[in-house]
Amino acid sequence: MLAYLIRRLAGTIPVLLAVSIFVFGFVHALPGDPARLEAGPEASPADIQAIRVDMGLDGPIWQQYLRWADNTLHGKLGRSTKTRQPVAQVIGERFMPTLWLTVVAMLWSTLVGIGIGVLSGIRRGRWQDKAGMVLAISGVSFPGFWMGLLLIDLFSVRLGWLPTGGYGTWQHFVMPAFTLGVGVAAVMARFTRSAFVEVSGEDYVRTARMKGVSEPVVAWKHTLRNALIPVITLTGLQFGFLLGGAIVIETVFSWPGLGRLLVDSVSFRDYPVIQAEIMLFSLEFVLINVLVDLLYAVANPEIRLK
Amino acid sequence: MLHTVKRMSWVLPLAATLGAAPHAWAAGDVVIGLDANIVGLDPADLNDNLSMTASRTMLQGLYGFDKDMKLVPVLAESTDSNPEATEYVVHLRKGIVFHDGAAFNAAAVKTSFDRARDPENHLKRASLYAPIKSVDVVDENTVKITLNAPFGAFINNLAHQAFAISSPKAIAEFGKELTRHPSGTGPYKFVSWQTDTLKVVKNDHYWKPGLPKIDNLTIRSTPENGSRLAMLQAGEAQFIYPMPPELVKVVEKDPKVDVVASKSIYARYVAMNTMRKPFDDVRVRLAMNYAVDKNAFLKVVFNGYGVPLDAPLPSNLSGYSKQGAYPYDIAKAKALLAEAGYPNGFETVLWGGNSTITQRGMQFLQQQFAAVGVKVSVEPLESGVAAARVWNVKTPADATTMMYYSAWSASTGDADWGLRPLFYGKAFPPTLFNTAYYANPITDAAIEAGLTTADAAKRMDVYKTAQAQIWKDAPWIFLVSDDNIAAKSKTLSGIYVLPDGQMLTEEAALN
Amino acid sequence: MSVTQDIRTPLGEFWRRFRRQRVALIAGGLILAIILAAIFAPWVAPFEPATPDYDSLLDGPTALHWLGTDAYGRDVLSRIIWGGRVSLMVGFLSVALGAVAGIIIGLVSGFFGGWIDGVLMRLMDVLLAFPGIILAIGVVALLGPGIDNVIYAIAVFSVPVFARLVRGNTLALKQTLYVQAARSIGVKAPLLMLRHILPGAMPGVIVYASLRLGTSILTAASLSFIGLGARPPSPEWGAMLADGRSYLGVADHLTLFPGFAIFVIVLAFNLFGDGLRDALDQKLR
Repeated sequence: MLAYLIRRLAGTIPVLLAVSIFVFGFVHALPGDPARLEAGPEASPADIQAIRVDMGLDGPIWQQYLRWADNTLHGKLGRSTKTRQPVAQVIGERFMPTLWLTVVAMLWSTLVGIGIGVLSGIRRGRWQDKAGMVLAISGVSFPGFWMGLLLIDLFSVRLGWLPTGGYGTWQHFVMPAFTLGVGVAAVMARFTRSAFVEVSGEDYVRTARMKGVSEPVVAWKHTLRNALIPVITLTGLQFGFLLGGAIVIETVFSWPGLGRLLVDSVSFRDYPVIQAEIMLFSLEFVLINVLVDLLYAVANPEIRLK
Repeated sequence: MLHTVKRMSWVLPLAATLGAAPHAWAAGDVVIGLDANIVGLDPADLNDNLSMTASRTMLQGLYGFDKDMKLVPVLAESTDSNPEATEYVVHLRKGIVFHDGAAFNAAAVKTSFDRARDPENHLKRASLYAPIKSVDVVDENTVKITLNAPFGAFINNLAHQAFAISSPKAIAEFGKELTRHPSGTGPYKFVSWQTDTLKVVKNDHYWKPGLPKIDNLTIRSTPENGSRLAMLQAGEAQFIYPMPPELVKVVEKDPKVDVVASKSIYARYVAMNTMRKPFDDVRVRLAMNYAVDKNAFLKVVFNGYGVPLDAPLPSNLSGYSKQGAYPYDIAKAKALLAEAGYPNGFETVLWGGNSTITQRGMQFLQQQFAAVGVKVSVEPLESGVAAARVWNVKTPADATTMMYYSAWSASTGDADWGLRPLFYGKAFPPTLFNTAYYANPITDAAIEAGLTTADAAKRMDVYKTAQAQIWKDAPWIFLVSDDNIAAKSKTLSGIYVLPDGQMLTEEAALN
Repeated sequence: MSVTQDIRTPLGEFWRRFRRQRVALIAGGLILAIILAAIFAPWVAPFEPATPDYDSLLDGPTALHWLGTDAYGRDVLSRIIWGGRVSLMVGFLSVALGAVAGIIIGLVSGFFGGWIDGVLMRLMDVLLAFPGIILAIGVVALLGPGIDNVIYAIAVFSVPVFARLVRGNTLALKQTLYVQAARSIGVKAPLLMLRHILPGAMPGVIVYASLRLGTSILTAASLSFIGLGARPPSPEWGAMLADGRSYLGVADHLTLFPGFAIFVIVLAFNLFGDGLRDALDQKLR
């Protein structure tokens, strides 16, 4: 098991290396001159050149990359060119709000999604199944920002039940987490249903049924447990998706998170922040994948041997 | 009463959890919702209105503006200048201390100015300090500023937030980090600034008696227009700016909320690159001016809040001189285009920012030009791209700008900064903002004459000449001066939006 | 029983099964109707989509303007009909581009295996490591805004999923008897991939593509929301929705109708895709 873990972790290194080159190249290919922006509209050309040197944007590009990679490996992420705040701090301040929002959204949507999926699977072909699937498909078909704006209008302005946005108490979480999770719940429901249906066709389930095991026990013990294995994978994938996908939701609900930060920093050409943030996203995603594979390997020993 | 407080505590969960004793926030907590993030709090290193507004709550300059943007002395009592407008002796107000306990005196002014203008520090506003040759301490309460060249509007520069004075103690202690540790003489003291929220607290030792009247002030950035308004309506904020003009109708129905519209010193325009075909022909530029219905523009884009421009300067900027109007006249526009050799119009590109309201303006212009046969493709630019395309131009011949939709507010409140950056022949990008690449000897001479005298009447006179010439040459499509629209809770008073879009919060009070 | 019914071509077999998916059939009909309306927009739409009327700004639905007018006095219904062209084009082109690239990469990767597979799949991992919208923001930031760049942006993040899908299928099909046989008689690799493996992978690709169409249209809308979408005066539905949100509370019809249009088309594609899957997937029968 440990060997597998090490092998799997080692495999992420080339991916991260490739991502870093990719990110660096991408950021530097963006049209726009960060020194020019940083200097502000009233600066002289000499000021701008001084700032360019200050930002480490002089010299050939490969030199800049090596300098950046070296600094990054030593934990020196530099300063935001926009606010002059250390990058670690800029990202640190926004990491927890995004993480919590993601976790809360993930929790409710996974529970509800699996619930609907199982119900639809058990009641396959009946009205519960149809209602569940219509609900799920409607969920993925809704433009998120529209739903968010409608919710604010209803619950904050008209009813005054919930705050419009911002980060603080549990009330702040309700609408953003709901909006963010709807799509995931829908995907989970559809996926769980088909996994469930697939497993119920397997021989061991049929055998159990023929042996006279009661229907709820069949559903729980034999079907659900096996159906959940692929669901784990999907959960992992969706988690990574949510971490980055909160951009729109964060804007609607004024959530001080990483998504909004990314849009702002791309628009401002805040190179150090963009680079660090995308590296962080990639790292998260890669690690989640490793974790998922691990869970998978625990569930299914055959994989470890491959 | 207790009942109301309880009910509010979950409407304002943030304040409830973070505020100390309940009476403290019930008595005087004000939240302002703005549309962008604060970039920094070091006044010498800021070039956006919003951060300057934030910094104004804590830091003050020798001069400042009142709510009508009239120049008023703040930390200065008076100033004497020599007739050549090269030496300014400023007498300081006595007995003032910074938030961190340091004394405000001539040495503090010198320290703050010298730091801001030191090229080694790479501060964004160093260029505003560029006219200064030296700052000298005359005595404890007198400071002498010597300029490199005559500059008649220098006191107006001193009123710019870039000249706000930071505590010498804070400068020594924090250096480059000053932007996160502001310490001034203003009505509020710094508490915290994280992501999208700035918190400041009442300065108990403020030098103006009876002020400030509130205990805590919070500035929160909420870029999404609808969310910002919802914040006000839900009672989470007491003041929001900008108030989206198209939503005024919603606010009018709300009994708890007021709309506050005030005249601005914004001039909204489209610069036409006068060095490039077809805009090198004045007839084409005039035609474009006749092709736009400014009143319809106001109605569609700003819900009627504003006035058409009738001079290169907006009407309430000092030095303004009325020139008339280019009325909406499609026939005349077409005739002028035909005369210039474009009977069937032409195709061109219009650049501008990518905010919702800017894109709306550009879309409207596109429709107007289509009516005279000019096909315009609209390109909203991200700030990063705009910086590269519009401002990073080596020589005027390289400039690819055709038409650029933008707005200008002279944050010194004076005609010089309203004309020189935009119409002076030596102000082409990247130096300044003459995106029309407009140069006319008469205009240039007038702008230079205005710089070299401090005589107010003489300055008015030369700026009149300059505006007449610019109006005739029409390097811009002169559009409108749109109002500043804010909205506030009926219980709040004393927060003002200045004509340049910055805000005064000193007199904020809750009833 | 007549003779014709006994001969079951794969297509006939598929149709026989798909016909039973009533919901998917309705969804398919709806999609077809929207496509036709978009194609014949000049005849169907009551007004010109870009012609302003400054005397009737932000009017609610009336007998003249069935779905009201927008901030420039343009007819909302006409804009939605014309906008269908743009939104559908974004959906179809981005998915087609992503699928073609993904298919090629997946085929090559699965067929040749070894280091080629390793490199290509690591590359796909890198692409996958970027959440879709971030990748799209990057592409638009790089190429500039505009509908064609939005299409590329969305296509890019469809590539890795198609590639993985096709690679999986290829690996399985490579082992089948008829491919082994074809190989042994010296059929060239490109021909083998195109003639023998690709058709086997196509059902999966088609199902996935139809589901992906909805996602693409939604992503285009999100890009419009953060200001990186279609350029004015394009009546792309997402752009209309994003524009209309400024008027929530004043003119709700500006968000309601484009929002509903997006919802309906995405829903239809999803239902249609689900039906396809049920019809094509042997296991679920």
